[in-house]
Amino acid sequence: MKLRKYIKDKWVTIIISFFFLLITISFLIAFKVSLELIIALTITFILFIIIIFIYKFYRKKHYYDVFLNNLDRLDQKYLISELIKKPNFYEGEILYESIYEIDKSMTERVSEYKQSVKDFKEFIELWIHEVKIPLASLSLIVHNNKSAVNKKIKEQINHLEDYTEQILYYVRSENPEKDYLIKKCSLDEIVKNVALKNQDNFRYKHTDFIVSDLDKTILTDSKWLEFIINQIVSNSLKYQRENPYIKITALEKKDEIQLIIFDNGKGISSSDLPRVFEKSFTGENGRDTSKSTGMGLYICYNLCQKLGHTIKIESVKDKFTKVTISFAKDTLV
Amino acid sequence: MKKILIIEDDTTINVELKEMLDNAGYEGVILKDFDNSLDEITNINPDLILLDINIPKINGQMLLKELRKSSNIPVIMVTSRKSEVDEVLSMSYGADDYVTKPYNPTLLLLKINAVLKRTNIPTNFINYHGVKVIQAKGIIKKDDLEIILTKNEMIILNCLLNNIGNIVTRDDLMTDLWNNKEYINDNALSVNISRLRSKLKEAGIDDAIETRKGQGYILK
Repeated sequence: MKLRKYIKDKWVTIIISFFFLLITISFLIAFKVSLELIIALTITFILFIIIIFIYKFYRKKHYYDVFLNNLDRLDQKYLISELIKKPNFYEGEILYESIYEIDKSMTERVSEYKQSVKDFKEFIELWIHEVKIPLASLSLIVHNNKSAVNKKIKEQINHLEDYTEQILYYVRSENPEKDYLIKKCSLDEIVKNVALKNQDNFRYKHTDFIVSDLDKTILTDSKWLEFIINQIVSNSLKYQRENPYIKITALEKKDEIQLIIFDNGKGISSSDLPRVFEKSFTGENGRDTSKSTGMGLYICYNLCQKLGHTIKIESVKDKFTKVTISFAKDTLV
Repeated sequence: MKKILIIEDDTTINVELKEMLDNAGYEGVILKDFDNSLDEITNINPDLILLDINIPKINGQMLLKELRKSSNIPVIMVTSRKSEVDEVLSMSYGADDYVTKPYNPTLLLLKINAVLKRTNIPTNFINYHGVKVIQAKGIIKKDDLEIILTKNEMIILNCLLNNIGNIVTRDDLMTDLWNNKEYINDNALSVNISRLRSKLKEAGIDDAIETRKGQGYILK
């Protein structure tokens, strides 16, 4: 709180006081009171006003300085209501009560929204589990009734599966609840599951799949990581050039294990590269195919953050794309 | 014939699963009475159970827990829930394997086969027209002649042997190979098959693998 601003704020009071002083002085002159008394009274009067003024100023200054200082240091500003003391002056009391009321109503609203997001998330998860039943039926029916269009139907079923998975993991990655389980997993097995999932696509697109040095154990949630690798591999399968291949390999460093997914596909232009993990970012490649949602890598990034892995992309347009996921080593062993 | 019990409440899946199992040379049985699931299982006495987590009356994991108190029948959990927690929980209750919906049917059959094999007393070798196929050593043996098969060739031969007399599609072979972490492409598969053919010929079996154009291969 600044004195100058405070004085400016109180100028009406100050002018009225001086006006009152002038009237008093002119009365005193009119009644022919001695000059000494007039001066004494005036000085006393001005002194009183200044003392009252300073007292009022410092009382408020102390309170508001603490208040503003706390507010400044708070990360979540609404928590200020927990940090202020009840003031001993009237205006402050109004402020205090108001903040309390506002905070309370906001908290209620927030918890209302929290609940509705939670309900929505639960419904989405339930819906995805439900939709998997007809999908499973479909793949069984296709398997049991061999016909010429089977391949195409299977491909479409695979797309459906991938899209439903994307929603599921999007919902999971956006919510603060912890619904993953980190345990020791075999990198080999996770990559195998991804490979099997995309097997038809690999063959259909004549893409070679090369793996090496994957016999490593890492700490992760295997389902989540499977989703992440699947997203990256399906991107590689989407943006291809001639003689395509995808190479997955693992590197053991001093304090981390790196999983490297390399493809010789279209690559990402250097202007797009820094933004690929942004939500809904499609970039040049995405616009070309128009099938891109721009969500895949964003979800991957979020999931990696939650699991404590780091993910980074290197790429040269029309040369290659290289995704590296780093896992911290189990230091207890 | 191996009897496989399907415990699942979706009728379409039930019917299709049964058809798939019947086509693959198993006897698929559908559990109808969910009130006394445990008694029913004992009555049917299957060789393997495909168990869904979301079934009426009793949760699949609970049923498995109850079942494990009295029986060691191999169980594969089939579920649309896809979380690590569910898998760990199921395995800790004694499931032999865990498959999430929507599953790849070929893969499911492979898993069923693997679980049945694991729980059976392992056979040292399979006899095929006087040729001993010794999987553990990766060789085929005719009298004193030993021919070494590569890992891929053994996987292919094994897959064909498991479906002897039936058509095995290239897709099925591919899935089996990839499931064994041999990520080969179409050309390599053709090369492997022709190499396997010549090795079988060397062992004295001519034209063992017949090609059905557009369909797949049959081991006669």
